[in-house]
Amino acid sequence: MKIIIEPTTLKEKYEHVDGLLLSLKDFSVQSGKYYTLDEIKEIKDNNNVEIFISMNKNFMNEEIPAVKDMLLEIEKLNVTGILFYDVALLQLKKELNLKTDLVWASTYMVNNTKTCNYYNNKGVKYALLGKEITLEEMKEIIKDSSITSMVEVVGLPSVAFSKRKLISNFYSDLEKDTKPSIDVVEKVSGETYEVTEDKNGTNFYLKKVVNGTVVIKDLFEVNTPYIILKEFGIDSNEFYELVKDTKDYIEGNCQNNEYIEKYKKLGDFTNFFFKKTIYKVKKNG
Amino acid sequence: MDRKIELLAPAGDIERLKINLLYGADAVYIGGQNYSLRANATNFSIEEIKESCDFAHERGKKVYLTLNIVFHNEDMEGVEEYIKEVVDAGIDAFIVSDPFIISHIKENYKNVEVHLSTQNGACNYKAVEYFKDEGINRVVLARECNKEQIKEIIDKTGVDIEVFIHGAMCTCFSGRCALSNYVTNRDANRGGCAQVCRFAFASDEEKDFTFATKDLNMAEHIKEMMDIGIKSLKVEGRMRSLYYLATVIGTYREIIDRINDNTLTPEIMEKLEYRLSRVANREVSTHFFDHEADWTDQYYTGRQELSNQDYLGLITGYDKENKCFIMVERNYFEPGDEVEIFTPDKEVISYTIGQIYDEDMNELDVARHPEQVLKLKMDQELPQYSMMRLIKKAK
Repeated sequence: MKIIIEPTTLKEKYEHVDGLLLSLKDFSVQSGKYYTLDEIKEIKDNNNVEIFISMNKNFMNEEIPAVKDMLLEIEKLNVTGILFYDVALLQLKKELNLKTDLVWASTYMVNNTKTCNYYNNKGVKYALLGKEITLEEMKEIIKDSSITSMVEVVGLPSVAFSKRKLISNFYSDLEKDTKPSIDVVEKVSGETYEVTEDKNGTNFYLKKVVNGTVVIKDLFEVNTPYIILKEFGIDSNEFYELVKDTKDYIEGNCQNNEYIEKYKKLGDFTNFFFKKTIYKVKKNG
Repeated sequence: MDRKIELLAPAGDIERLKINLLYGADAVYIGGQNYSLRANATNFSIEEIKESCDFAHERGKKVYLTLNIVFHNEDMEGVEEYIKEVVDAGIDAFIVSDPFIISHIKENYKNVEVHLSTQNGACNYKAVEYFKDEGINRVVLARECNKEQIKEIIDKTGVDIEVFIHGAMCTCFSGRCALSNYVTNRDANRGGCAQVCRFAFASDEEKDFTFATKDLNMAEHIKEMMDIGIKSLKVEGRMRSLYYLATVIGTYREIIDRINDNTLTPEIMEKLEYRLSRVANREVSTHFFDHEADWTDQYYTGRQELSNQDYLGLITGYDKENKCFIMVERNYFEPGDEVEIFTPDKEVISYTIGQIYDEDMNELDVARHPEQVLKLKMDQELPQYSMMRLIKKAK
């Protein structure tokens, strides 16, 4: 099982990782940190690990030429994969006969085996599984699908994306200068959400770290190819200590219970790993 | 020139379906009891789907079934059998977001169309080309597209394009929002959306942070939409009332027909816009179609719904002996109130409330009990599903 991290701290060398997930500035959303292509090139040159580039925007017509050019630029870099939400990327890969592999990463939609297989049959090598399904559902997909699965195990969950400028709009109404991010509190649950805005739109994050250290052993046992740890929202020193410890834990076949004990400090929020959403579809037509 | 464009209406049950078709919809979209994104709507059994298709097809109209949840493994169980049952019931098209389901239907059923749901978030010509290659018959574009983008997609792909013209809007990209999952544990992409975007969140400012959108109303842009080659105009709201649907669908029908026969004057348009405004329960906007959506398209004051009491009743029959139409009351009215009776045949009859009788012809002073069966004098027999709305109170 390989470890990919999505770093927010720029380092010359990232240790104890098998891969890096880097969100491409202007071509991706729902990330804690965006990188220019030059920055990605530099990181790639300094780190002999797999590089995944996120281009997970919903693109509008006028962006398509730039997307095409960017895909051709990335093709020269020999990176491991490109994350996409919009099937325009899959269409362009086909048209341009690109060799760079794709990662189906349609946030809340990567939820079942058959659709993963569908994309795999269309030439998509990887899938970043939705984080709103249960661990058991993930394990089924990992075991039964032909696609190479990735599971996000640690990080702040990105819960929604809008094309609207929701913070700017809020401050326009208040007749005040806008801010790039604000914290807001859902009144019933008391949960804090971090709302961030840039020229692409508005992202919502639940400001609570998902602690998936407790599911790594389960994922290891079903031969999950990749797990992802995201730095955004976590203290940098703590995060890189976690990365090192997680690498050691996996290399020890996930037998070291001290790891689990140590990372109880990340909190007890396990997202949907052990909790099913309700309003499941009714049967009997 | 008669430019054929489809008016597509929402129906949460069979009565709404009939109302929509009688009031001028060319097609209706419904949810089955499985796999639809409106788990709260009554939704249709297989027998009701068959009855709906028969009713529509007898009138030269169509019925589409939404199959647009985002599937988990457990939801896939039985879906292929369900699709077959729905095809056998006579459905004209499925509205789908999952590409595996699209490919399954296209491979197995040659005579049924597949429309890409807006849930998929398609908003550029390359994405539409992808689904064209997959055999999709129509794409419901993401609501974030503007007029020029829609036109370019139509011109470059030749795929039939459907867009929303009226009703509630998502704040986020459809499908790209799990706020409901996180805040309420209700699965937004499987029919349980709790509309968290209409909640007020506490902020450090003097007001709560709200991000709810105004509703969509594209009445003033219908001609432009016809001109750029859009194939279908979709109204949102499978859980809306009969009165709302009759008014909205009847009004858009009139707009489209008047554009086609060149009789839509500014005065008539003003009247039709007013009619739409009377059933609106929120303020409206055109959102992305003619501008980049901005702060004027949103609310900043918590929940926003207004109740509307114009709808006085549904006409259900005629008492020939007493020369009265029979109606089921919806809202209070009294003698002297000026009302309009509007029919599925587009007739609008001005009427002043006179004597009000109960079912047994006992005279009442006022109509005060919603759901009560009432009789009112009229020489003319009215078609079923005619409705009565308030124009002016007596006092």
